[in-house]
Amino acid sequence: MTVKTLSARKNGTARAGAEAGTEPIPLRYGDDPYVWACWLYYEDHMTQGDIAEIMGISRATVNSYLADARARGIVNISLEPSRLSSLSIAQELKRHFGLHDCLVVPSDDNTRPLIDRLGGAAAQALAKLLKSGDTLAVAWGRTVLAIAEQASVPGLQDVTVVQATGGTAANFAYTPELCASVMAGAVNARLVNITAPAVVSTAEIRDMLLREPLIESQFDALGKANKALFGISSLRPNSTIHTSGFFESVSLQQYLARNAVGVVAGRFIDGQGKPVAGPLDDRIIGISLDMLKAINLRIAVAGGFDKVPAILAALRGGYVNVLITDAATGRGILNADGVTELDQKLSQRPKIDHRAALPSNFRTHIKKFLNDPNDVVEEMLDGVVKAHAGYIRPIKGSHRALVARTGPRPGKVGLVIGGGTGHEPCFLGYVGKGLADAVAVGNIFSSPPPGTIFQCANAASGGQGVLFVYGNYAGDVMNFDMAAEMAAEHNIEVRTVVTTDDIASSPIEDKEGRRGVAGNFFMFKTAGAACDRGLSLDACEAATRKANARTFTMGVALEPCSMPQTRRQNFEIGPDDIEIGMGIHGERGVIRDKMMSADEIADRVMDRIFSEMKAAPGDRVAVLVNSFGATPLMELYILFRRVEQRLSAKDIKIEANWVGHYCTSLDMVGASISVLHLDNELTELLHHPCDTAVLRIG
Amino acid sequence: MQQFENASAGDIVLSIADRIIENRAYLSEIDGKIGDGDHGVNMAKGFGMAADRIRGNDMSLATAFDTLGTVLMTEIGGSMGPLYGVMFTQFAETIEKSSSIDAPAFSAMLSNGLDGIQSIGSAKVGDKTLLDTLVPAIAAFDAANADGKPFPEALDALVLAAEKGRDSTRDLVARIGRASRLGERSVGVLDAGATSCALILKALALGAKQKLLISATAGR
Repeated sequence: MTVKTLSARKNGTARAGAEAGTEPIPLRYGDDPYVWACWLYYEDHMTQGDIAEIMGISRATVNSYLADARARGIVNISLEPSRLSSLSIAQELKRHFGLHDCLVVPSDDNTRPLIDRLGGAAAQALAKLLKSGDTLAVAWGRTVLAIAEQASVPGLQDVTVVQATGGTAANFAYTPELCASVMAGAVNARLVNITAPAVVSTAEIRDMLLREPLIESQFDALGKANKALFGISSLRPNSTIHTSGFFESVSLQQYLARNAVGVVAGRFIDGQGKPVAGPLDDRIIGISLDMLKAINLRIAVAGGFDKVPAILAALRGGYVNVLITDAATGRGILNADGVTELDQKLSQRPKIDHRAALPSNFRTHIKKFLNDPNDVVEEMLDGVVKAHAGYIRPIKGSHRALVARTGPRPGKVGLVIGGGTGHEPCFLGYVGKGLADAVAVGNIFSSPPPGTIFQCANAASGGQGVLFVYGNYAGDVMNFDMAAEMAAEHNIEVRTVVTTDDIASSPIEDKEGRRGVAGNFFMFKTAGAACDRGLSLDACEAATRKANARTFTMGVALEPCSMPQTRRQNFEIGPDDIEIGMGIHGERGVIRDKMMSADEIADRVMDRIFSEMKAAPGDRVAVLVNSFGATPLMELYILFRRVEQRLSAKDIKIEANWVGHYCTSLDMVGASISVLHLDNELTELLHHPCDTAVLRIG
Repeated sequence: MQQFENASAGDIVLSIADRIIENRAYLSEIDGKIGDGDHGVNMAKGFGMAADRIRGNDMSLATAFDTLGTVLMTEIGGSMGPLYGVMFTQFAETIEKSSSIDAPAFSAMLSNGLDGIQSIGSAKVGDKTLLDTLVPAIAAFDAANADGKPFPEALDALVLAAEKGRDSTRDLVARIGRASRLGERSVGVLDAGATSCALILKALALGAKQKLLISATAGR
């Protein structure tokens, strides 16, 4: 039913009017193309392309009509209130208790029993959380069985499900054995049952059983669990824990008398989440609270208002890092822990986004290979330690302090390097024979703390003192200085060379204030060789200082880098702009200029380097052309080509060169050029053999 | 008397941590403009770790400050780890022997925190750092006390001066830290450290005011 209008629209009639299917705006919309576009889009569910055709306008105009219509309030997009509120409660629970994740089921949907709904939600969550190769510890209970019955996670490989407690003869449907076995079936996992009773008559019997090889091997499997799934039981009088027969009621009374408020994986906790001691403790066969806390992902599923104190206790005790509950319970937990602002937050109307529509290729987040962004450093180090196990090993189990396998030895000065992460292969790639003895690893772009650095100094020490070499940043200086004081208290003499090779970062009058960047590579190499040759601490320090004084670096960024935790670029750079004088932390450069050719850029850098490096014809240098992360080798070689031309034009000989990723700034697009002005001593040290994950000489 | 109990005031530190964690993205964003964009993330990590250790343990204010200071100092790294670490550790040491905290004790606590920071850092007021917030805030608090203003009013003055100090960093040229490499280009952007310092002082002052109110009501 289309009513043709006589009033021609401004847009499109001339172009599209003759075509079949072209519809002028029906009368009831008046002359308003916004309303017409919205009707076709939201009510008739047409695509923007179809609407463009019908209205005889471009797709971009349709897009801007739709965006303007939202901004002008012609269209209101609203979230269903109960779902919005459960999302807000989940976000608040997550924030307040520092959870890894939280899922809250709306409370107003009373068509199904709560346990079923929680089970269904948890089953869906499990499909996202469970991965191939996982070992999942499964506790018992009505909720856990409801999850197992609704779960279906096909396509996983090498998953193991371990029963988290011993079994029971109690007369209920949701026994530990059944919960674990239904879950194993649902996720296609290998099943490990604990073939002992959950509660035995004496502590002696428990200890005997735990020594049985079969049960020992089942506990070994439990100890390998990296994920756990459990309910939380209340100890209120109406709780099923009293009627299940799992625990003896006499003993239960004793735990209650000691202020137990809940049961987590078969263990009693008080209101603050602390373990409550009682007569059953030595007679329970099953996962302990400490074992539970050591598990990476601890998924608790529980709801119902009577469970609020128990869930709150479990959260306070840190037994849970993924919580699945319902909105009423979630709100109750927050209120019980003193969060009152939530209701105000919920009553605020959702903000309407007034920004204009953006083109479809616009990115608000950078794509990265990530799991949990908060774990990026830990996961990287996990990979590093495994990939380079031949070169480095953790000191006292910490991946933040790594020592060379064939580095420290008695009588040798120890070399400790370090700094923030995000610069890989700096700094940990330079640990090994003939180079650094230990590396202290910080967070992204952030210095490691003093304790970590001290551990490195301790591990690197061979009785002849330790040399610290790191870039000149306020944070690094403070933390390394504190570590040096700690080392002095342990009778380890520490000398420090702070690298300052970035000639763009301060004028020559303030040479000591410059920052240390990719030229670190040469300082580390020099220091490592001096140490490996058995020179004294004085001589090692002097050689490194000389290398620092004779190394000149300047960087240029074409695009900013993006932080893993925000997946956003950490500054803006215009489409035609470049940053000259870029450091290695994504901090902005010193001068912004227009994009220019590779040779012009290389010339800008080399001119600056020549202005400071007093090299005479016939002198020798080492050259490093370094990518900031995203610039490919192809472009680095183009830069190197020009660097070589400029040096040979001055009759300066390149003794050695490196082209590639040596000191990066996450995914920054850009490169730096470093030149080390050699003398005989530095040349010898440069050629001294070394063997590390990223640098091998000799 | 205008004072509050040290013993039960540890939760003030939890509310400080909450404010930092809430503002994590904001702090990182302003840091990204002239620094390296990690201020919010690292601060939230450190304050969050400390809050986990404080929560549910019914700590005194001194113990909670000590817990926070130790976490920041030993586990966080960066430049803010040691700077705020030493500040909170000094706070803790100043008040650990006091059973209740009055305005002079509060003032001494702040001043010792400032001394701690100045003992390891080299910044001065006007360098576009957290000192631009902290120094005028303490001065305003002390001035209000000298004028005989009640403790809660002095706390209001502290917050006002802290926020004014924070805003003053917008027009300053950074002279220290990574932003200093930018010179004049750092003008026009708030300093992230000055901003987090204002958040911390405000949460501290509000927490203290609340405790004063409770002890006043209880004393009646």
